[in-house]
Amino acid sequence: MTAKLVVEGLSHHYPDEYTGIDVHALDDINIEVEEGEFVAVVGPSGCGKTTLLNILAGLLPYKVGSAYVDGVKIEGPGPERGVVFQEHAILPWRSVARNIGHGLEIRGVPEAERKSRVSEYINLVGLEGFEDRYPHELSGGMKQRVAVARTLCADPEVMLMDEPFAAVDAQTRITLQEEINRISIATKKTTMFITHAVDEAAFLGDRCFVMSRRPGKVKAIVDIKIPREKRIWKDILADEEFVAARDNILKLVREEVTRDD
Amino acid sequence: MTNNLTDRLNRFQAFWRHFSGAEAINNILVICIILYIWNFISGAIDNPARYLPAPDVVFLSSFDLFHKGLLPVYFGETMARLVTGSFIGLALGIPFGLALGLNKTISDIFHPILNFFQSVSGIAIFPIIVIWWGNSEKTVLAIILYTAFFPVAFSVLSGVRTVPMRYVQAAQTLGASHWQIVKDVLIPGAMPYIATGSRLSIGFGWRAVIAGEMLAGRQGMGWMIFTGQDADRTHEVILGMVVIGLTWIVLDRYLLRPFEADTIERWGLVQR
Repeated sequence: MTAKLVVEGLSHHYPDEYTGIDVHALDDINIEVEEGEFVAVVGPSGCGKTTLLNILAGLLPYKVGSAYVDGVKIEGPGPERGVVFQEHAILPWRSVARNIGHGLEIRGVPEAERKSRVSEYINLVGLEGFEDRYPHELSGGMKQRVAVARTLCADPEVMLMDEPFAAVDAQTRITLQEEINRISIATKKTTMFITHAVDEAAFLGDRCFVMSRRPGKVKAIVDIKIPREKRIWKDILADEEFVAARDNILKLVREEVTRDD
Repeated sequence: MTNNLTDRLNRFQAFWRHFSGAEAINNILVICIILYIWNFISGAIDNPARYLPAPDVVFLSSFDLFHKGLLPVYFGETMARLVTGSFIGLALGIPFGLALGLNKTISDIFHPILNFFQSVSGIAIFPIIVIWWGNSEKTVLAIILYTAFFPVAFSVLSGVRTVPMRYVQAAQTLGASHWQIVKDVLIPGAMPYIATGSRLSIGFGWRAVIAGEMLAGRQGMGWMIFTGQDADRTHEVILGMVVIGLTWIVLDRYLLRPFEADTIERWGLVQR
């Protein structure tokens, strides 16, 4: 059986938007994500993590290497790969409920079914009572809950998350991380979660791919064998395995940040 | 002592701002001041009937014109022209702007031509239209339509182009087709510009109606003020100006602005 999401020998170059100088963003990336697995990709800023995600989302064409979901080559965006962006991606002119149901609406799911699916996901992310609100009336954390629910409601095969909590405040971030963990238990969705925050990667990932500085390579893979049910911030900080894994990832990332060449 | 006074003044101002109807009272105050100055000047000059009839004379003449039925007829004709002309102008301008915003080839072809005609104002194309169609209803309508077309077309064009790429990408990753992106993302995203552009176009259209009626019409408010000048009926000229200005304030405030508020502000696309 092959993995759910496969990245093989993926490299990427692009000319810098302003200077035109060639940027070598990704170098021979190999990643396999198993069905139901939660993979975190962590690396210093500018390591090409977002480039990787954009390629997997189908928003950025690539030439070298290949990427597959369920054995089908990724060429352009598709509903089998749901994406949660960093911020400002839910539509301001749609209410919470209509944002969350957008994927189903696009697919032509009848209204009655859509409504029940939407309310299921509204409950899952804890937005009951906010169905008819518009995004500008919500806090940053709530907007990201809507974004997560919108992606899940479309029921993708793989969920790709691009630093979804980078723009929310620290308190909210902790809550959202625990919620994503809870949602992951409930939906068992195959997920690739991109972040620059070491704590976040160690807290959420079943495996953590640490990337090197540009050109981005997979520098190390760190296993975190803590059952998802035990991943609660107030307990996990006392868990020796968590602390060891986090310190290991931190050391690997720090080497990249401080490396001078 | 001075502090106490400023304090009280501030509190009074805060109270005044929050007092419902304070704005209306302010407006009435300003109008009263203008009327007072107008009345004063009118009383101070020779032959006010020719140069500046007093407010009450103008006001009374409106009764006369109402009584003869002229004012309602002229006003109705002008409004009918505005509605027809700007409706057609918007109906053509909005889709044209959208097409330009959505398709680079169309935009490359039409943009220079659009720019050219936008700079040739309605008044500048008047002579050629009169040569074609004479002093007719068609001429007046053509001018309104021409004037209303460009502001909205340009606004919609820039509206489509300012929709953040993120929104398009988000819809793409949900599996949206080309048409679904246009319908669900680009058109609603351009709504603030569509609303503002429409308001602009109707505003320009309103000026064009009056100008058109003055130059080529045989009826309407423009015609009324134009003939008023010829016939030495200055009170009718001023009355016409007042009606034109007031009509726009009412239109804008009770029709166009609420439309804008209802869609755009609710979405939080415009910060107030």
